[in-house]
Amino acid sequence: MVNELQPLPTVQEIVTLALSIITSRTFLEIIVFPGFLNVMLGAAFLTWLERKVIARVQLRIGPLYAGMWGILQPIADGVKLMFKEMIFPERADAKLLMLCALGLMLLAAAPVVPIPFGDGLVIADMDVGLIYVFAVISLFPTVILLIGWGSNSKYSFLGALRSLFQQVAYEIPMWLSVLGIIMLTGTLNLAKIVEAQQKVWFVVPQILGFVVFFTAVLAELERTPFDLPEAEPELVMGWMTELTGVAFMVGFLAMYTKLYLMSALITALFLGGWSGPAILPQPVWFLLKTFLVASSVVIIRGSFPRVRVDILLRSAWTRLLLVAFANIFVTVGVIWLGLGGIWRI
Amino acid sequence: MALDNWSLVAIFEIVVFLTIFPLLIFGWLMGAKGRHPIRDAPFESGQTPMGEARRRYMMQYYPYLIMFVVFDVVAMFLFTWGLVFSSISFSQDYVFLIFLIILVAPLAYALHLSGKHESW
Repeated sequence: MVNELQPLPTVQEIVTLALSIITSRTFLEIIVFPGFLNVMLGAAFLTWLERKVIARVQLRIGPLYAGMWGILQPIADGVKLMFKEMIFPERADAKLLMLCALGLMLLAAAPVVPIPFGDGLVIADMDVGLIYVFAVISLFPTVILLIGWGSNSKYSFLGALRSLFQQVAYEIPMWLSVLGIIMLTGTLNLAKIVEAQQKVWFVVPQILGFVVFFTAVLAELERTPFDLPEAEPELVMGWMTELTGVAFMVGFLAMYTKLYLMSALITALFLGGWSGPAILPQPVWFLLKTFLVASSVVIIRGSFPRVRVDILLRSAWTRLLLVAFANIFVTVGVIWLGLGGIWRI
Repeated sequence: MALDNWSLVAIFEIVVFLTIFPLLIFGWLMGAKGRHPIRDAPFESGQTPMGEARRRYMMQYYPYLIMFVVFDVVAMFLFTWGLVFSSISFSQDYVFLIFLIILVAPLAYALHLSGKHESW
């Protein structure tokens, strides 16, 4: 029995189909602006920004030679690391380490999906956006612990354990500090949360929540004053000690991606997202605010000493958690007095 | 072509995967290879590594981890409550405020204990 052959699609049909997919809004959003390229270039830009800002804090100049003001330095570093030998300690699980670096990158990039970079400029307009972001963030300690275990190195494992404790302790204040916003707006959709801030940004009524959230984000990012997992004088590079070559590059880029997207999350939740005077387009406002938040994280790194482990954990559970609860009770009072109307969606 | 949220997430993750995975393979192929017992030892700041890295460690702050397990679940309840807070009336809300107060009381006691090293 002979099947009738389908006529093959002509080259022109294939090209037309491919063009229609490539120029579709969804595809462009995923690949170019709020999506992939934005995340990678933003993270690479942040590595440069951090080096520049920290250099100015320490009265240095920072990277200078690659491109204008050394702006191509991240690319030079990336190319250098790509050709480096990957050295894994004996009896370390090299495949696991490489997969974990990849997983870290996948996790770090994932929160970009529900974050609105402009009015309607969002990959997926999720109704559970905030829960999704927190769910992704809560997966980080797992991967980090796997890296610590897989490297078969004491520095790595101790760093991973510290990271686990710290991220787990600071997750709860972080969740509770945004509860005030959820109560005021009655939604978990990040785009709607941004829309609710057109009149007054949430940093004003939720100032306690903002302080708690910002501190918790510093701890989640393992940034000074909470950078115990990679405290250089004690643990060399923490759980990243045994990552080498391209695996190190991917893991390092993942941490900067996390910094970028957490800054974007702070912008969307507390700083009015893309709202601003119409002299600049909305995404520009959003990026300006995001990089401002990221620079403040870097300046904090340059200015403050590292805290002790026991102070770190106890302050998360005593001070931050109690401030977050105080914020919830204040918000309850505000809503019962009928003052929450302007933020209601 | 309407895609639901989770397939958009999946497509985005696939794009990231398809970029990063070849990068790792490329680095694996391009880097020099060779084995030497000293170079393959774990990094310990120039010292000769002693003992196993995979062994029992002292978990100094274990009670905090137990507190996390308790509050983790509670925090999720609070999210659902916060979502409907403005749309339900006071008579339904005060029940949850009692829940919150019952939650804060043992937390305060645990934190009171955490201030004393001998009882923690």
